Amino acid sequence: MPTSSPLELEVAQLIIDAVHLEDIKAEEIDPEAALFREGLRLDSIDALEIALAISRRYGFQLRADGKDNISIFASLRSLSQHIEKNRVK
Amino acid sequence: MISKTTLPLLGLPPTETSIIAWWQGQPISHEIFLAQVRQVATELPAHRYAFNLCEDRYLFMVAFAAILWREQTNLLPAYRLSSEIQKIAADYPDSYCLTDHPIIDLPLPQHLIAVSGTGTLDRTIPEIATAQTAVIVFTSGSTGRPCPHPKTWHSLVTGARLAQQRFQFPQPTSIVATVPPQHMYGLETSILLPLVMGLRIHNSRPFFPQDISQTLMAVPPPRLLITTPIHLKACVQSNLSWPALTMIISATAPLSRSLAAQAETVFAAPVWEIYGCTEAGSLASRHPLESDQWQLYDDFWLSQDETNGCYVHGDHLFESVPLQDVIAIDDDRHFRLLGRQHDLINIAGKRASLSDLNRQLNEIAGVADGIFIMPAEHEEQITRLIALVVAPTQDEATILAELAQRLDPTFLPRPLYKVSRLPRNETSKLPQQELIKLLKELATTK
Repeated sequence: MPTSSPLELEVAQLIIDAVHLEDIKAEEIDPEAALFREGLRLDSIDALEIALAISRRYGFQLRADGKDNISIFASLRSLSQHIEKNRVK
Repeated sequence: MISKTTLPLLGLPPTETSIIAWWQGQPISHEIFLAQVRQVATELPAHRYAFNLCEDRYLFMVAFAAILWREQTNLLPAYRLSSEIQKIAADYPDSYCLTDHPIIDLPLPQHLIAVSGTGTLDRTIPEIATAQTAVIVFTSGSTGRPCPHPKTWHSLVTGARLAQQRFQFPQPTSIVATVPPQHMYGLETSILLPLVMGLRIHNSRPFFPQDISQTLMAVPPPRLLITTPIHLKACVQSNLSWPALTMIISATAPLSRSLAAQAETVFAAPVWEIYGCTEAGSLASRHPLESDQWQLYDDFWLSQDETNGCYVHGDHLFESVPLQDVIAIDDDRHFRLLGRQHDLINIAGKRASLSDLNRQLNEIAGVADGIFIMPAEHEEQITRLIALVVAPTQDEATILAELAQRLDPTFLPRPLYKVSRLPRNETSKLPQQELIKLLKELATTK
Protein backbone atom coordinates (compact mmCIF):
# COMPACT_ATOMS: atom_id res chain seq x y z
CA MET A 1 0.00 0.00 0.00
CA PRO A 2 1.40 3.45 -0.89
CA THR A 3 2.19 5.64 2.13
CA SER A 4 0.02 8.61 2.96
CA SER A 5 1.28 12.18 3.28
CA PRO A 6 0.58 14.11 6.49
CA LEU A 7 -2.33 15.94 4.82
CA GLU A 8 -3.73 12.65 3.53
CA LEU A 9 -3.64 11.23 7.04
CA GLU A 10 -5.38 14.34 8.34
CA VAL A 11 -8.09 14.10 5.66
CA ALA A 12 -8.45 10.35 6.33
CA GLN A 13 -9.09 11.10 9.99
CA LEU A 14 -11.58 13.82 9.01
CA ILE A 15 -13.47 11.28 6.86
CA ILE A 16 -13.44 8.69 9.64
CA ASP A 17 -14.84 11.21 12.12
CA ALA A 18 -17.37 12.68 9.68
CA VAL A 19 -19.01 9.40 8.71
CA HIS A 20 -18.32 7.43 11.91
CA LEU A 21 -16.17 4.68 10.44
CA GLU A 22 -15.40 2.98 13.72
CA ASP A 23 -13.46 -0.03 12.52
CA ILE A 24 -10.68 1.57 10.47
CA LYS A 25 -7.66 3.77 11.30
CA ALA A 26 -6.42 6.68 9.20
CA GLU A 27 -3.18 4.94 8.29
CA GLU A 28 -5.12 1.89 7.09
CA ILE A 29 -6.82 3.81 4.28
CA ASP A 30 -5.01 3.27 1.01
CA PRO A 31 -4.57 6.81 -0.37
CA GLU A 32 -4.99 5.55 -3.92
CA ALA A 33 -7.97 3.26 -3.35
CA ALA A 34 -11.51 4.30 -4.24
CA LEU A 35 -13.45 6.14 -1.53
CA PHE A 36 -16.76 5.11 -3.04
CA ARG A 37 -17.77 1.70 -4.33
CA GLU A 38 -15.16 -1.03 -3.90
CA GLY A 39 -12.81 0.96 -1.64
CA LEU A 40 -14.26 2.51 1.50
CA ARG A 41 -17.77 2.06 0.10
CA LEU A 42 -18.89 5.53 0.99
CA ASP A 43 -22.09 6.83 -0.59
CA SER A 44 -23.62 10.18 -1.43
CA ILE A 45 -24.88 10.76 2.12
CA ASP A 46 -21.29 10.45 3.30
CA ALA A 47 -20.19 12.87 0.59
CA LEU A 48 -22.45 15.55 2.12
CA GLU A 49 -21.06 14.92 5.61
CA ILE A 50 -17.48 14.98 4.34
CA ALA A 51 -18.15 18.19 2.38
CA LEU A 52 -19.45 19.85 5.54
CA ALA A 53 -16.40 18.72 7.55
CA ILE A 54 -14.10 20.01 4.78
CA SER A 55 -15.81 23.41 4.70
CA ARG A 56 -15.37 23.73 8.46
CA ARG A 57 -11.76 22.64 8.58
CA TYR A 58 -10.41 24.09 5.35
CA GLY A 59 -12.77 27.01 4.78
CA PHE A 60 -14.07 26.28 1.27
CA GLN A 61 -17.20 24.71 -0.16
CA LEU A 62 -17.12 21.65 -2.41
CA ARG A 63 -19.07 21.84 -5.61
CA ALA A 64 -20.26 19.09 -7.88
CA ASP A 65 -21.34 20.96 -10.96
CA GLY A 66 -17.99 21.03 -12.73
CA LYS A 67 -18.28 17.30 -13.46
CA ASP A 68 -15.04 16.88 -11.50
CA ASN A 69 -16.86 15.66 -8.43
CA ILE A 70 -16.20 12.06 -9.37
CA SER A 71 -12.50 12.72 -9.87
CA ILE A 72 -12.24 14.77 -6.64
CA PHE A 73 -13.76 11.93 -4.64
CA ALA A 74 -11.94 9.22 -6.60
CA SER A 75 -9.44 8.57 -3.79
CA LEU A 76 -8.06 9.98 -0.58
CA ARG A 77 -5.13 11.29 -2.66
CA SER A 78 -7.30 13.14 -5.20
CA LEU A 79 -9.49 14.61 -2.46
CA SER A 80 -6.42 15.76 -0.51
CA GLN A 81 -4.97 17.37 -3.65
CA HIS A 82 -8.25 19.19 -4.22
CA ILE A 83 -8.17 20.43 -0.62
CA GLU A 84 -4.53 21.55 -0.94
CA LYS A 85 -5.44 23.57 -4.05
CA ASN A 86 -8.58 25.21 -2.64
CA ARG A 87 -8.07 25.55 1.09
CA VAL A 88 -8.21 28.99 2.63
CA LYS A 89 -7.29 27.88 6.13
CA MET B 1 -68.91 13.17 -14.20
CA ILE B 2 -67.83 12.72 -17.81
CA SER B 3 -64.27 11.50 -17.93
CA LYS B 4 -62.19 12.67 -20.85
CA THR B 5 -60.33 10.03 -22.80
CA THR B 6 -57.32 12.24 -23.43
CA LEU B 7 -55.51 14.95 -21.47
CA PRO B 8 -53.04 17.40 -23.01
CA LEU B 9 -49.28 17.02 -22.50
CA LEU B 10 -49.17 20.62 -21.26
CA GLY B 11 -51.85 21.68 -18.80
CA LEU B 12 -51.74 25.37 -19.71
CA PRO B 13 -51.78 26.76 -23.23
CA PRO B 14 -48.31 28.18 -24.02
CA THR B 15 -47.83 31.83 -24.85
CA GLU B 16 -44.99 33.37 -26.80
CA THR B 17 -43.16 34.21 -23.61
CA SER B 18 -44.01 31.29 -21.34
CA ILE B 19 -41.04 29.28 -20.13
CA ILE B 20 -40.88 25.66 -19.00
CA ALA B 21 -37.22 25.26 -18.07
CA TRP B 22 -33.75 26.68 -17.64
CA TRP B 23 -31.35 24.53 -19.58
CA GLN B 24 -27.64 25.24 -19.99
CA GLY B 25 -28.26 28.68 -18.54
CA GLN B 26 -30.93 29.58 -21.11
CA PRO B 27 -34.70 29.86 -20.71
CA ILE B 28 -36.58 27.27 -22.79
CA SER B 29 -40.00 28.36 -24.02
CA HIS B 30 -42.93 25.97 -24.27
CA GLU B 31 -42.73 26.31 -28.05
CA ILE B 32 -39.12 25.18 -28.17
CA PHE B 33 -39.85 22.39 -25.71
CA LEU B 34 -42.69 21.10 -27.90
CA ALA B 35 -40.49 21.28 -31.00
CA GLN B 36 -37.72 19.35 -29.25
CA VAL B 37 -40.15 16.73 -27.93
CA ARG B 38 -41.54 16.29 -31.44
CA GLN B 39 -38.05 15.92 -32.88
CA VAL B 40 -36.94 13.35 -30.27
CA ALA B 41 -40.24 11.44 -30.57
CA THR B 42 -39.83 10.93 -34.32
CA GLU B 43 -36.35 9.47 -33.79
CA LEU B 44 -37.27 6.96 -31.06
CA PRO B 45 -36.99 3.25 -31.84
CA ALA B 46 -40.32 1.45 -32.19
CA HIS B 47 -40.57 -0.45 -28.91
CA ARG B 48 -43.18 -0.56 -26.18
CA TYR B 49 -40.99 0.39 -23.24
CA ALA B 50 -38.19 2.88 -22.78
CA PHE B 51 -35.89 3.10 -19.77
CA ASN B 52 -35.69 6.86 -19.25
CA LEU B 53 -32.21 7.17 -17.75
CA CYS B 54 -31.53 10.84 -18.60
CA GLU B 55 -29.68 12.55 -15.75
CA ASP B 56 -30.20 16.10 -16.95
CA ARG B 57 -33.65 17.02 -15.66
CA TYR B 58 -34.67 18.95 -18.77
CA LEU B 59 -33.57 16.15 -21.10
CA PHE B 60 -35.43 13.71 -18.85
CA MET B 61 -38.57 15.80 -19.32
CA VAL B 62 -38.12 15.95 -23.10
CA ALA B 63 -37.54 12.17 -23.15
CA PHE B 64 -40.53 11.56 -20.86
CA ALA B 65 -42.83 13.58 -23.11
CA ALA B 66 -41.46 12.08 -26.34
CA ILE B 67 -41.99 8.57 -24.99
CA LEU B 68 -45.61 9.46 -24.12
CA TRP B 69 -46.16 11.01 -27.51
CA ARG B 70 -45.05 7.78 -29.19
CA GLU B 71 -47.50 5.87 -26.95
CA GLN B 72 -44.63 4.08 -25.23
CA THR B 73 -44.09 3.66 -21.48
CA ASN B 74 -41.29 5.20 -19.39
CA LEU B 75 -39.54 2.60 -17.23
CA LEU B 76 -37.93 4.16 -14.14
CA PRO B 77 -35.60 1.80 -12.24
CA ALA B 78 -34.89 2.48 -8.57
CA TYR B 79 -31.14 2.47 -9.19
CA ARG B 80 -29.11 3.48 -12.22
CA LEU B 81 -27.24 0.18 -12.13
CA SER B 82 -26.69 -2.17 -15.03
CA SER B 83 -27.68 -5.17 -12.88
CA GLU B 84 -30.94 -3.49 -11.81
CA ILE B 85 -31.86 -2.50 -15.39
CA GLN B 86 -31.12 -6.00 -16.68
CA LYS B 87 -33.43 -7.58 -14.08
CA ILE B 88 -36.27 -5.31 -15.25
CA ALA B 89 -35.48 -5.80 -18.94
CA ALA B 90 -35.91 -9.55 -18.46
CA ASP B 91 -39.59 -8.88 -17.64
CA TYR B 92 -40.00 -6.19 -20.34
CA PRO B 93 -38.21 -7.66 -23.36
CA ASP B 94 -39.60 -5.08 -25.82
CA SER B 95 -37.54 -2.28 -24.27
CA TYR B 96 -34.59 0.04 -24.96
CA CYS B 97 -32.74 2.75 -23.03
CA LEU B 98 -33.07 6.46 -23.70
CA THR B 99 -30.25 8.32 -22.01
CA ASP B 100 -27.94 11.32 -22.07
CA HIS B 101 -25.00 9.36 -20.61
CA PRO B 102 -24.53 5.79 -21.83
CA ILE B 103 -24.25 3.15 -19.13
CA ILE B 104 -21.18 0.95 -19.47
CA ASP B 105 -21.64 -2.83 -19.58
CA LEU B 106 -25.35 -2.66 -20.29
CA PRO B 107 -26.37 -5.33 -22.83
CA LEU B 108 -29.41 -3.38 -24.06
CA PRO B 109 -29.87 -1.01 -27.00
CA GLN B 110 -29.05 2.51 -25.80
CA HIS B 111 -30.49 5.45 -27.70
CA LEU B 112 -28.71 8.73 -26.98
CA ILE B 113 -31.05 11.68 -26.71
CA ALA B 114 -30.06 14.64 -28.87
CA VAL B 115 -31.92 17.92 -28.95
CA SER B 116 -30.71 20.37 -31.53
CA GLY B 117 -31.78 23.76 -32.81
CA THR B 118 -35.40 24.66 -32.42
CA GLY B 119 -36.96 22.50 -35.12
CA THR B 120 -40.33 23.64 -36.40
CA LEU B 121 -42.00 25.88 -33.87
CA ASP B 122 -45.49 24.63 -33.22
CA ARG B 123 -47.93 25.42 -30.48
CA THR B 124 -50.06 22.33 -31.04
CA ILE B 125 -50.16 20.43 -27.78
CA PRO B 126 -50.27 16.65 -28.12
CA GLU B 127 -53.15 14.86 -26.43
CA ILE B 128 -52.23 11.77 -24.40
CA ALA B 129 -54.73 8.98 -23.74
CA THR B 130 -55.75 9.11 -20.07
CA ALA B 131 -55.57 5.30 -19.82
CA GLN B 132 -52.08 5.11 -21.29
CA THR B 133 -49.51 3.66 -18.87
CA ALA B 134 -47.20 6.66 -18.84
CA VAL B 135 -44.61 5.27 -16.44
CA ILE B 136 -43.74 2.18 -14.49
CA VAL B 137 -41.78 3.16 -11.38
CA PHE B 138 -39.78 0.36 -9.78
CA THR B 139 -38.96 -0.18 -6.12
CA SER B 140 -36.87 -2.93 -4.58
CA GLY B 141 -39.29 -5.64 -3.57
CA SER B 142 -39.05 -8.05 -0.66
CA THR B 143 -38.15 -10.91 -2.98
CA GLY B 144 -35.13 -9.25 -4.58
CA ARG B 145 -36.96 -8.61 -7.86
CA PRO B 146 -37.76 -5.00 -8.73
CA CYS B 147 -41.42 -4.36 -8.02
CA PRO B 148 -43.37 -2.49 -10.76
CA HIS B 149 -45.77 0.37 -10.01
CA PRO B 150 -47.60 1.41 -13.20
CA LYS B 151 -49.11 4.91 -13.47
CA THR B 152 -51.59 6.07 -16.06
CA TRP B 153 -51.33 9.54 -17.56
CA HIS B 154 -54.62 10.33 -15.81
CA SER B 155 -53.26 9.44 -12.37
CA LEU B 156 -50.11 11.53 -12.90
CA VAL B 157 -52.10 14.57 -14.05
CA THR B 158 -54.44 14.19 -11.08
CA GLY B 159 -51.48 14.02 -8.69
CA ALA B 160 -50.07 17.29 -10.03
CA ARG B 161 -53.46 19.03 -9.79
CA LEU B 162 -53.91 17.88 -6.20
CA ALA B 163 -50.46 19.20 -5.26
CA GLN B 164 -51.24 22.57 -6.85
CA GLN B 165 -54.57 22.66 -5.03
CA ARG B 166 -52.79 22.10 -1.75
CA PHE B 167 -49.82 24.42 -2.14
CA GLN B 168 -51.20 27.11 -4.48
CA PHE B 169 -47.76 27.73 -6.02
CA PRO B 170 -47.73 31.25 -7.43
CA GLN B 171 -47.05 31.67 -11.16
CA PRO B 172 -44.41 31.53 -12.51
CA THR B 173 -42.67 29.52 -9.76
CA SER B 174 -39.25 28.10 -10.62
CA ILE B 175 -38.33 24.74 -9.13
CA VAL B 176 -34.87 23.65 -8.04
CA ALA B 177 -34.81 19.98 -7.05
CA THR B 178 -32.11 17.92 -5.36
CA VAL B 179 -33.93 14.65 -5.97
CA PRO B 180 -33.75 12.57 -9.16
CA PRO B 181 -36.69 12.62 -11.60
CA GLN B 182 -36.62 8.81 -11.79
CA HIS B 183 -38.17 8.45 -8.32
CA MET B 184 -41.84 9.15 -7.66
CA TYR B 185 -41.29 12.26 -5.50
CA GLY B 186 -38.90 13.83 -8.00
CA LEU B 187 -41.11 12.86 -10.94
CA GLU B 188 -44.24 14.38 -9.42
CA THR B 189 -42.63 17.60 -8.27
CA SER B 190 -39.97 18.40 -10.84
CA ILE B 191 -41.49 16.96 -14.04
CA LEU B 192 -45.27 16.83 -13.65
CA LEU B 193 -45.77 20.18 -11.91
CA PRO B 194 -44.05 21.92 -14.85
CA LEU B 195 -45.93 19.91 -17.50
CA VAL B 196 -49.36 19.99 -15.92
CA MET B 197 -49.39 23.16 -13.80
CA GLY B 198 -47.07 25.46 -15.74
CA LEU B 199 -44.21 25.69 -13.22
CA ARG B 200 -40.61 25.96 -14.41
CA ILE B 201 -37.64 23.73 -13.66
CA HIS B 202 -33.89 24.14 -13.56
CA ASN B 203 -32.25 21.28 -15.43
CA SER B 204 -29.61 20.45 -12.84
CA ARG B 205 -29.68 18.28 -9.77
CA PRO B 206 -27.54 20.26 -7.32
CA PHE B 207 -25.89 18.19 -4.65
CA PHE B 208 -23.63 20.14 -2.27
CA PRO B 209 -25.02 23.20 -0.45
CA GLN B 210 -22.90 25.51 -2.60
CA ASP B 211 -24.41 23.96 -5.75
CA ILE B 212 -27.93 24.31 -4.36
CA SER B 213 -27.35 27.96 -3.49
CA GLN B 214 -25.93 28.82 -6.93
CA THR B 215 -28.70 26.99 -8.75
CA LEU B 216 -31.34 28.84 -6.74
CA MET B 217 -29.65 32.11 -7.63
CA ALA B 218 -29.68 31.13 -11.31
CA VAL B 219 -33.50 31.27 -11.44
CA PRO B 220 -35.73 34.28 -10.74
CA PRO B 221 -38.23 34.37 -7.84
CA PRO B 222 -40.68 32.94 -6.89
CA ARG B 223 -38.43 29.98 -6.08
CA LEU B 224 -39.39 26.55 -4.75
CA LEU B 225 -36.79 24.14 -3.37
CA ILE B 226 -37.69 20.44 -3.57
CA THR B 227 -35.39 18.47 -1.34
CA THR B 228 -34.84 15.94 1.46
CA PRO B 229 -33.96 16.19 5.17
CA ILE B 230 -30.37 15.19 4.35
CA HIS B 231 -29.79 18.04 1.92
CA LEU B 232 -31.67 20.42 4.17
CA LYS B 233 -29.43 19.56 7.10
CA ALA B 234 -26.30 20.06 4.99
CA CYS B 235 -27.61 23.45 3.80
CA VAL B 236 -28.53 24.60 7.31
CA GLN B 237 -25.04 23.76 8.59
CA SER B 238 -23.20 25.30 5.64
CA ASN B 239 -23.32 28.96 6.75
CA LEU B 240 -24.04 30.04 3.18
CA SER B 241 -26.34 32.88 2.25
CA TRP B 242 -29.51 32.05 0.37
CA PRO B 243 -31.68 33.89 -2.13
CA ALA B 244 -35.33 34.54 -1.24
CA LEU B 245 -37.45 31.39 -1.42
CA THR B 246 -41.23 31.10 -1.51
CA MET B 247 -41.27 27.63 -0.04
CA ILE B 248 -39.22 24.52 0.70
CA ILE B 249 -40.69 21.05 0.39
CA SER B 250 -39.03 18.06 2.00
CA ALA B 251 -39.90 14.40 1.60
CA THR B 252 -38.50 10.84 1.53
CA ALA B 253 -37.77 10.70 5.28
CA PRO B 254 -39.24 12.30 8.39
CA LEU B 255 -38.06 15.84 9.03
CA SER B 256 -37.42 16.60 12.68
CA ARG B 257 -39.15 19.61 14.15
CA SER B 258 -35.82 21.11 15.18
CA LEU B 259 -34.34 20.82 11.67
CA ALA B 260 -37.53 22.30 10.20
CA ALA B 261 -37.24 25.24 12.61
CA GLN B 262 -33.56 25.82 11.81
CA ALA B 263 -34.29 25.63 8.08
CA GLU B 264 -37.10 28.20 8.35
CA THR B 265 -34.70 30.57 10.11
CA VAL B 266 -31.82 30.06 7.67
CA PHE B 267 -33.95 30.25 4.49
CA ALA B 268 -36.57 32.67 5.82
CA ALA B 269 -39.21 30.51 4.09
CA PRO B 270 -41.82 28.01 5.22
CA VAL B 271 -40.71 24.38 5.20
CA TRP B 272 -43.43 21.89 4.28
CA GLU B 273 -43.33 18.13 4.16
CA ILE B 274 -45.01 15.78 1.73
CA TYR B 275 -45.98 12.26 2.70
CA GLY B 276 -46.35 9.69 0.00
CA CYS B 277 -45.23 6.39 -1.38
CA THR B 278 -44.31 5.07 -4.79
CA GLU B 279 -47.58 3.14 -5.02
CA ALA B 280 -49.91 6.11 -4.42
CA GLY B 281 -47.68 9.12 -5.03
CA SER B 282 -47.81 12.20 -2.79
CA LEU B 283 -50.94 11.99 -0.68
CA ALA B 284 -50.64 14.36 2.28
CA SER B 285 -48.75 17.39 3.54
CA ARG B 286 -47.96 19.14 6.78
CA HIS B 287 -46.20 22.24 8.04
CA PRO B 288 -44.16 20.64 10.83
CA LEU B 289 -43.74 23.87 12.83
CA GLU B 290 -47.51 24.15 13.09
CA SER B 291 -48.61 20.57 13.53
CA ASP B 292 -47.49 16.96 13.53
CA GLN B 293 -50.78 16.08 11.85
CA TRP B 294 -50.78 15.23 8.16
CA GLN B 295 -53.57 16.58 6.01
CA LEU B 296 -54.65 14.37 3.13
CA TYR B 297 -54.72 15.86 -0.36
CA ASP B 298 -58.28 16.25 -1.68
CA ASP B 299 -59.51 13.11 -3.49
CA PHE B 300 -57.69 10.69 -1.15
CA TRP B 301 -59.23 8.86 1.77
CA LEU B 302 -57.96 6.35 4.31
CA SER B 303 -59.32 3.19 5.85
CA GLN B 304 -58.06 0.84 8.51
CA ASP B 305 -58.59 -2.91 8.80
CA GLU B 306 -59.06 -4.92 11.99
CA THR B 307 -55.28 -5.47 12.36
CA ASN B 308 -54.73 -1.70 12.17
CA GLY B 309 -53.27 -1.95 8.67
CA CYS B 310 -53.95 1.33 6.88
CA TYR B 311 -55.00 1.74 3.24
CA VAL B 312 -55.15 4.81 1.07
CA HIS B 313 -57.83 5.12 -1.60
CA GLY B 314 -58.35 7.45 -4.52
CA ASP B 315 -60.46 7.28 -7.67
CA HIS B 316 -57.34 7.91 -9.77
CA LEU B 317 -55.38 5.00 -8.25
CA PHE B 318 -55.29 1.55 -9.86
CA GLU B 319 -56.22 0.02 -6.51
CA SER B 320 -56.21 0.70 -2.79
CA VAL B 321 -52.68 0.96 -1.46
CA PRO B 322 -51.58 -0.48 1.88
CA LEU B 323 -49.37 2.06 3.68
CA GLN B 324 -46.02 0.88 5.05
CA ASP B 325 -46.30 2.97 8.20
CA VAL B 326 -48.27 2.52 11.37
CA ILE B 327 -50.85 5.29 11.28
CA ALA B 328 -53.40 6.85 13.63
CA ILE B 329 -56.39 8.24 11.73
CA ASP B 330 -57.57 11.38 13.55
CA ASP B 331 -60.50 12.27 11.30
CA ASP B 332 -61.58 12.10 7.64
CA ARG B 333 -58.78 14.34 6.45
CA HIS B 334 -56.03 14.01 9.07
CA PHE B 335 -53.66 11.36 10.38
CA ARG B 336 -50.43 10.98 12.33
CA LEU B 337 -47.48 8.66 11.73
CA LEU B 338 -46.73 6.44 14.69
CA GLY B 339 -43.86 4.40 13.30
CA ARG B 340 -42.70 2.00 10.69
CA GLN B 341 -43.75 -1.56 10.18
CA HIS B 342 -41.03 -3.78 11.52
CA ASP B 343 -39.69 -5.33 8.34
CA LEU B 344 -39.38 -2.12 6.36
CA ILE B 345 -36.48 0.17 6.90
CA ASN B 346 -35.81 3.57 5.44
CA ILE B 347 -32.30 4.97 5.32
CA ALA B 348 -31.98 8.41 3.81
CA GLY B 349 -35.23 7.91 1.94
CA LYS B 350 -34.20 4.57 0.45
CA ARG B 351 -36.48 1.73 1.36
CA ALA B 352 -35.59 -1.90 1.90
CA SER B 353 -37.07 -4.95 3.49
CA LEU B 354 -34.99 -6.45 6.31
CA SER B 355 -36.08 -9.95 5.34
CA ASP B 356 -34.86 -9.34 1.79
CA LEU B 357 -31.51 -8.01 3.05
CA ASN B 358 -31.18 -11.05 5.33
CA ARG B 359 -31.98 -13.35 2.45
CA GLN B 360 -29.25 -11.77 0.32
CA LEU B 361 -26.74 -12.02 3.17
CA ASN B 362 -27.48 -15.68 3.74
CA GLU B 363 -27.10 -16.47 0.04
CA ILE B 364 -23.41 -15.59 0.14
CA ALA B 365 -21.16 -18.64 -0.09
CA GLY B 366 -19.59 -19.37 3.29
CA VAL B 367 -22.25 -17.51 5.31
CA ALA B 368 -23.80 -20.05 7.67
CA ASP B 369 -26.10 -17.60 9.39
CA GLY B 370 -26.51 -13.86 9.37
CA ILE B 371 -28.80 -11.00 10.23
CA PHE B 372 -29.12 -7.28 9.59
CA ILE B 373 -30.07 -5.08 12.53
CA MET B 374 -31.45 -1.56 12.36
CA PRO B 375 -30.16 0.27 15.46
CA ALA B 376 -32.25 2.87 17.25
CA GLU B 377 -32.43 6.02 15.12
CA HIS B 378 -31.01 9.37 16.12
CA GLU B 379 -32.00 12.70 14.70
CA GLU B 380 -28.47 14.00 14.38
CA GLN B 381 -27.00 11.42 12.06
CA ILE B 382 -28.03 8.87 9.50
CA THR B 383 -28.50 5.47 11.07
CA ARG B 384 -26.66 2.62 9.37
CA LEU B 385 -27.37 -1.07 9.52
CA ILE B 386 -25.30 -3.51 11.55
CA ALA B 387 -24.77 -7.08 10.38
CA LEU B 388 -23.95 -10.12 12.52
CA VAL B 389 -22.55 -12.98 10.50
CA VAL B 390 -21.54 -16.55 11.24
CA ALA B 391 -18.99 -17.50 8.58
CA PRO B 392 -16.10 -19.62 9.86
CA THR B 393 -14.33 -19.80 6.48
CA GLN B 394 -14.92 -16.27 5.15
CA ASP B 395 -13.37 -13.00 6.23
CA GLU B 396 -15.27 -9.74 6.74
CA ALA B 397 -13.83 -8.08 3.63
CA THR B 398 -14.99 -10.89 1.35
CA ILE B 399 -18.49 -10.86 2.78
CA LEU B 400 -18.65 -7.07 2.42
CA ALA B 401 -17.43 -7.27 -1.17
CA GLU B 402 -20.14 -9.84 -1.92
CA LEU B 403 -22.79 -7.66 -0.30
CA ALA B 404 -21.56 -4.61 -2.21
CA GLN B 405 -22.35 -6.42 -5.47
CA ARG B 406 -25.90 -7.11 -4.37
CA LEU B 407 -27.01 -4.07 -2.38
CA ASP B 408 -27.21 -0.33 -2.77
CA PRO B 409 -24.30 1.15 -0.77
CA THR B 410 -26.80 2.78 1.62
CA PHE B 411 -27.65 -0.64 3.04
CA LEU B 412 -24.11 -1.95 3.51
CA PRO B 413 -23.56 -2.71 7.21
CA ARG B 414 -21.41 -0.47 9.37
CA PRO B 415 -20.02 -2.41 10.99
CA LEU B 416 -20.22 -6.06 10.03
CA TYR B 417 -19.34 -8.31 12.98
CA LYS B 418 -18.31 -11.93 12.61
CA VAL B 419 -19.62 -14.05 15.48
CA SER B 420 -19.38 -17.74 16.33
CA ARG B 421 -23.14 -18.12 16.58
CA LEU B 422 -26.30 -16.03 16.67
CA PRO B 423 -28.33 -16.16 19.89
CA ARG B 424 -31.24 -18.08 18.37
CA ASN B 425 -33.77 -19.54 20.77
CA GLU B 426 -35.36 -22.98 20.55
CA THR B 427 -37.78 -21.83 17.84
CA SER B 428 -34.76 -20.43 15.97
CA LYS B 429 -36.03 -16.87 16.48
CA LEU B 430 -33.64 -14.15 17.53
CA PRO B 431 -34.95 -12.47 20.68
CA GLN B 432 -34.41 -8.71 20.53
CA GLN B 433 -33.00 -8.66 24.07
CA GLU B 434 -30.33 -11.24 23.23
CA LEU B 435 -29.33 -9.32 20.11
CA ILE B 436 -29.01 -6.06 22.02
CA LYS B 437 -26.85 -7.80 24.64
CA LEU B 438 -24.60 -9.29 21.97
CA LEU B 439 -24.26 -5.96 20.18
CA LYS B 440 -23.22 -4.26 23.41
CA GLU B 441 -20.54 -6.91 24.03
CA LEU B 442 -19.22 -6.55 20.48
CA ALA B 443 -19.14 -2.76 20.68
CA THR B 444 -17.06 -2.83 23.87
CA THR B 445 -14.60 -5.51 22.74
CA LYS B 446 -13.89 -3.84 19.38
